Amino acid sequence: MSQDMNRDDNHDVEQRLRAALRPVDPGAGFVGGVMARIAAERPRSARLPRTRAAASWLTFALAASIVLALLVAHQHQARRTEQGLEARRQLIQALRVAGDKLDLASRIVNAQQPPPNSSNSGA
Amino acid sequence: MSGDEACTSRALLARATAGDTAAFGALVRMHQRPVYSLALRMLSDRHQAEDLAQDVFLQLYRSLAALESEDHLSFWLRRVTMHRAIDRLRRERRYAAVPLADAEMVASDSADADPILERRLRGLLEELAPAARAVIVLRYQEDLDPVEIGRTLKMSVNTVKSHLKRSLALLRAALAVPGSGAGGGSPTPPRPLPSGNRLLI
Repeated sequence: MSQDMNRDDNHDVEQRLRAALRPVDPGAGFVGGVMARIAAERPRSARLPRTRAAASWLTFALAASIVLALLVAHQHQARRTEQGLEARRQLIQALRVAGDKLDLASRIVNAQQPPPNSSNSGA
Repeated sequence: MSGDEACTSRALLARATAGDTAAFGALVRMHQRPVYSLALRMLSDRHQAEDLAQDVFLQLYRSLAALESEDHLSFWLRRVTMHRAIDRLRRERRYAAVPLADAEMVASDSADADPILERRLRGLLEELAPAARAVIVLRYQEDLDPVEIGRTLKMSVNTVKSHLKRSLALLRAALAVPGSGAGGGSPTPPRPLPSGNRLLI
């Protein structure tokens, strides 16, 4: 019995809530107000991508410069290493030629010297 | 929303997403009533409600690309409106209570309505905590079921049901509704909610 009364009361309150909470329209200028706020915001948002684009270009340029600098430094280093190796090759070649010449000279000098007298040495 | 309206709304959404401002205006016109009403029932102040509803549509304009469908749009609008309203109520609660008299600004537009009782009910609604008020508004204004309310407010279904049950009991007690439903139009002032339950639900 009391449960039935409660259910009736609840139903009654629910009906009254539905009536009290009927949707209503905003004022006549509502849509205009929204559109005006959007229009006021648009130039700012249009500026924003430009700024963002500039920032991303700057980042790209900076990264490209760093890569380029590293590449140039690497090439410079490689060229210097190559020059060093070439100089070492030439030095070895020069030493070899000089050694050959000295060897030849030594052999000529040795060949011109009279052999030691074996009879004198025996007397 | 009828099939035709849904179709139109979908087309408007697609055009607005592509940057058509006029289509976005039409979309605002189509959804202004529920968004503004939700804000109004939560904040009980026409100016604040218009301001909040405009904020919601501004946020919608920035988020158009993220919306997938007409259903998603309606859900999104309800969710953002209610969360913004709850946030605003909680923020303002620190400084000043919402005056009950503001409820009188909400006019009734139905001939057979009982304006005094409706004003009483809305006044009592203002005494509910923001979350409980949001549950009641979504249930009886938007006609959502507890599952949909839970999704909108990010609440469990049990919490929604508990809010509904307790709020209805409190409103029934405060209104002291007679079983027959008669006397609803009595001009006597409403009994306030029991102090232990005010803004604590």
